[in-house]
Amino acid sequence: MTSAPADSSTGRLRGRPLSLRLSLWARFDGWGALVLPLLVVLVLVFGLPLAVMLSRSLTDPSFGLQNYSDVFANSVYLRVLGNTFLIATIVTAVTLALAYPYAYLMTLVGPVWRMIMMGLVLVPFWTSILVRSFALVLFLRDTGAFNSALQSLGVIDEPIPLIRTLPGVVFGMVQVALPFAVLPIFATMQGIDRRLLQAAESLGDRPAGAFWRVFVPLSVPGVAAAVLLTFVQALGYYITPALLGGPKNTMIGELIVQQVSTVLRFGFAAALATLLLVTTLLLLVVAGRFVDLQKHLMRQS
Amino acid sequence: MKTTKLLAVASAVGLAVTLTACGGGSSSSASEESLTVTMWGGAAQKAHVDSYFLPWAESKGVTIKQDSPTDYAKIKAQVEAGQVTWGPTEVEPNFANTACEAGLLEKLPQDILDKAKETGVAEDQIGPCAIPILQYSFTIAYNSDTFPDAHPTTWAEFFDTEKFPGKRGFWKYATGGMFEAALLADGVAPDQLYPLDIDRAFKKLDTIKKDIVFFDTGDQMTQMLASGEAPLVQAWSGRIFQAQQAGEKIANEWNDNLVSYDQIVVPKGYPNTELAFEWMRWFLDNLEAQAADAEASIYGPASDKALEFVPEEIRKELPGYEANAESSAGLVDYGYWAENYDSVTERLNTWIAQ
Repeated sequence: MTSAPADSSTGRLRGRPLSLRLSLWARFDGWGALVLPLLVVLVLVFGLPLAVMLSRSLTDPSFGLQNYSDVFANSVYLRVLGNTFLIATIVTAVTLALAYPYAYLMTLVGPVWRMIMMGLVLVPFWTSILVRSFALVLFLRDTGAFNSALQSLGVIDEPIPLIRTLPGVVFGMVQVALPFAVLPIFATMQGIDRRLLQAAESLGDRPAGAFWRVFVPLSVPGVAAAVLLTFVQALGYYITPALLGGPKNTMIGELIVQQVSTVLRFGFAAALATLLLVTTLLLLVVAGRFVDLQKHLMRQS
Repeated sequence: MKTTKLLAVASAVGLAVTLTACGGGSSSSASEESLTVTMWGGAAQKAHVDSYFLPWAESKGVTIKQDSPTDYAKIKAQVEAGQVTWGPTEVEPNFANTACEAGLLEKLPQDILDKAKETGVAEDQIGPCAIPILQYSFTIAYNSDTFPDAHPTTWAEFFDTEKFPGKRGFWKYATGGMFEAALLADGVAPDQLYPLDIDRAFKKLDTIKKDIVFFDTGDQMTQMLASGEAPLVQAWSGRIFQAQQAGEKIANEWNDNLVSYDQIVVPKGYPNTELAFEWMRWFLDNLEAQAADAEASIYGPASDKALEFVPEEIRKELPGYEANAESSAGLVDYGYWAENYDSVTERLNTWIAQ
């Protein structure tokens, strides 16, 4: 954990065309040492457990690929894994569709309204997920506030099944994910120079055209960050789907918890978690072929 | 510049050292005079600790520490790491069974096993590593607003969605009693239940699958029953009675009740194991303390002999009560579940996701 080897290596690395990680390494002068605590924490709380998990998936209860072949032997695990990605995709799409206009509106209104809108996003963010999910149960269930209100108004006769359905899960997860999408999109939008839009219009584009051809492309970094944050987060949810979802909306997180804390098959749980991780990384690689993630995420305006 | 650099590096190294220290230190922090009790948490744990841990601890000068909820993964991890901080721990009997065989739990000395039998604990609830601490029943719980006149009184009627329309709540848990209920509903005699015919149970469950609502926690259970979302629930008897006392329009039907129980174990290698055993002896001898807990938590005492110290109005909501015992469909066989829990859980997951 000394800085000596790093210092000596910077000399050789500097000045070459390097990948992002190497260029970070190259900038590792004295100030770079400030990153050490973070590195230590990351290694201890992230790297090490990840390595343990990987090795357990291959060694517990015995050495080999048994855990992985068990995953593929029963179709339920792959179905739940597929279900997890499906729900995460729907949640990401819905969240984006709501967050983008919301963030845009935030850039248009005056400071007072902006503060109110920010508050509306942040207050739920500071409330426990459990509390919010239970509140949603009270609101969404057959005899809950939503259905009884509609019934007493005579709009519906039978309660609309909202809880323990896919829409119920999506609703619950979107409200958890919304702040993580609104904040980066808003931050990017605020940094966009509005004079560029005026310039486009003065060159003859209609306002709608200027919006789509100038503003939207410039907001892509925020959108990319929002999509990534929402999607990756949604993959790991299990409290919300457990409370709001039906049996058919089980997500992989629920099965992993079950394997760890009730069935005690640590190795199998590790295999499930590894599969989730690998699939997520593969998806990111595929996505990276279409969108330059690194550019969008690292060079936020 | 140099100084700042030095400071930064020094603080980083300091942090690393602190973190390492945190990881390696504090191995056997449990002192001679403390016992760490771990249960499922909530009001029930408070009642248990107040009724039969604190009175003992005060007379002995022992400090009671608490943790919750019980987590089997943590027990396994503590024992594997050789850093056991949990003493007496409330677990389900099937776990006590498998974990005892796997060497994760302390074997109980013979005198405790003998004492349990002498003090009126049912023999089939005693294991080599475990004694029961409470009993409850899986009952037919119903919403008395939805069913003011007639409600299902047998599992067959519970499964009859034509005679009694509405959703049915089940615990999303293999040992939660749903397979036993399905087989009883399908006409299997109570004394022929085990080993369970899981295929037949699933077939029976298939007939009401679209009306099944699952719950994960006791709060969800009472909530869905009281709100009428699922006017019938296969329930944990005590929670229903407590909610009923609090004014909810729900009640237990005791006919066909399936008796279940929780056990107390000590993870292998707990530093104060002897102290934990000493408490167990005291607990078994103190029927009044068991009765006090039954009154406070609405869980039946480990020994039916303690029932005579429980007031009548509470006693009739406990599994050991004479009328309830007579109408019972038997005791959940956790020996069966210890062997079949994993495979049935996997089948249940598959069935649910289909």
